[in-house]
Amino acid sequence: MLKTKQKTIYEEALSRGFSRRDFLKMCTALAATMGLTFKESEKVAKAMESAKRVPVLWLQFQACTGCTESFIRASHPKVESVLLDMISLEFSDVLSAASGYQLEDNMANIMKEYAGEYVLVVEGAIPDDEFTQVAGRGAKEVLKEAAENAMLVITFGSCASWGGIPAAKPNPTNGRPVKDIIKNKQIVLVPGCPPIAEVMTGVIAHILTFGKVPELDQHGRPKAFYRHRIHDKCNRRAYFDAGLFAESFDDVGAKQGYCLYKLGCKGPTTYASCAEMRWNGGTSYPIQSGNPCIGCTEKNFWDNGPFFERRAKIPGTQTTINPDAVGFAITGAALAGVAAHAGITAVKKKKDEKSSEERSE
Amino acid sequence: MTNPNTGLETHSSGVKVRTETKNLGKVYVWELPVRIFHWVNVLSILALILTGIYIGNPFIGSSVPEEAYYSYVMGWARYIHFFAAFIFTANIILRVYWFFKGNKYAKTNPFKKAFWSDVLETTKFYLFLKNKKKHTPGHNSLAQLGYIIFIGLGSLIMILTGIYLYFEPQFQSIPVAKLGALFGGDSFSVRSFHHIVAWGFIIFMVIHVYLAIREDWLSKNGTISSIFTGYKTEQVENNDEKAQGEKRD
Ligand code: SF4
Repeated sequence: MLKTKQKTIYEEALSRGFSRRDFLKMCTALAATMGLTFKESEKVAKAMESAKRVPVLWLQFQACTGCTESFIRASHPKVESVLLDMISLEFSDVLSAASGYQLEDNMANIMKEYAGEYVLVVEGAIPDDEFTQVAGRGAKEVLKEAAENAMLVITFGSCASWGGIPAAKPNPTNGRPVKDIIKNKQIVLVPGCPPIAEVMTGVIAHILTFGKVPELDQHGRPKAFYRHRIHDKCNRRAYFDAGLFAESFDDVGAKQGYCLYKLGCKGPTTYASCAEMRWNGGTSYPIQSGNPCIGCTEKNFWDNGPFFERRAKIPGTQTTINPDAVGFAITGAALAGVAAHAGITAVKKKKDEKSSEERSE
Repeated sequence: MTNPNTGLETHSSGVKVRTETKNLGKVYVWELPVRIFHWVNVLSILALILTGIYIGNPFIGSSVPEEAYYSYVMGWARYIHFFAAFIFTANIILRVYWFFKGNKYAKTNPFKKAFWSDVLETTKFYLFLKNKKKHTPGHNSLAQLGYIIFIGLGSLIMILTGIYLYFEPQFQSIPVAKLGALFGGDSFSVRSFHHIVAWGFIIFMVIHVYLAIREDWLSKNGTISSIFTGYKTEQVENNDEKAQGEKRD
């Protein structure tokens, strides 16, 4: 690997032909993305002027590469190019030109050279060794080695964060989230299938700006991006409160833009910032485009039943039921049982009364 | 054979019918706070069930395309649901207090052996088998077990999951966020718990009302009116108990 003197992000931007004005604009946009106030964009600019790019090691295990795909599609071409340059993606299976021994060497070098400085990004769940091997070594071993000297670990996507689709029941490969394997490192979860590009870059930008991980919630997700549910910021929420629901994908309600709750929208149980940040540079997001939220940032989302139905999961299983249909059926059975019981009681009572009458005679 | 203590005749079939009418007196079973608890509980649960079913599956909707600002149906359903939920919770807390303060019929103790043997005998009784169930003016042990499970545990689950869902998504206070871990950790699991256990209450209601009517019918002791007045008509062994029973209100 070639060793060059590391430039600061500001220098990098200048060398790419951006003006200082462009640079400041980028910092303000970045601050907004991170959920900071305008005042704090100064801090961002300062950090970018002095901060070196963070070396990032990006490992992939049981994944579909969707997170990488989303990441390289970060919006605002100008901001994006700088954002991408903020981090120096030292190692990525997908984006690397090198392959084979060269690539493996490269990785070993980075881990040595940037020991304690690099951020380890993980994409994909970690299965048992026989299911995923990288250069002849089991996934667990590769991950453990890379995490050893990392500054911190970020899990991009639902698979690395929760287990995701590979870990969906019955989980044939015993796929596990990173936090089940790495216990002694700080782990930042950035779930989503995939996460929004700006969320991924925003998390890295935060670490770069403030030198520490952003404020996390009880699951380890950055609060700035996972504080609200889709439902709390949804553009169809007014219809929800009004009780106006689309009943099918092609009825009048759907045309009117009614709430998609009855079409199985998982927005009310899904913590993500799709409704605020939207996708593809703020163009749209699933619900805006007429498709119910499938809850892809949530734990076990794949096991939470059909996407287009409202269901409830029987605790401790992956079985989902329509609780009202089942409830009515059981209540009906209870009513029938009660009626039968009453009938038997009446018959017995009559018999007993007769026999006691006979006895007293 | 007629049990001299209760005046109830037990037949081999297990059905008990009151035949003895001597020595009948009023026994004060349900004290005023218990009766108030019962009816507040009934009303709040009914309100919670009606609005809850609507929230889970909005069965009424507008048939003509309209704009969102005309109505606020789901908004009201949720508002009533939350309002009733707080009343329900406060009511349960008062009932827990009365568990310690109230008379012997307001209590239960499943840690006694007699409790479980009575559960067994009562189960036989309801299955029309030969049994040695003892009649009591209050709840039999099987009923007590039912209340512990449905009204006790059930309410606890509903209240805890309800609090979690109510405070969503403002997880600034850690205790509320931690609550979710008890029920699977994610919003969907907590919601599933809430929805499924709610149906337990409905099924409980069916059985509860039936058994109360049946008890009234067979024992002729005024079970149904007792939840309004507090008194049941029972065999009173001595006048002491009778007097004691009538004393407090
Ligand atoms: S479409 Fe989904 S997220 Fe939006 S208001 Fe309806 S239920 Fe909530």
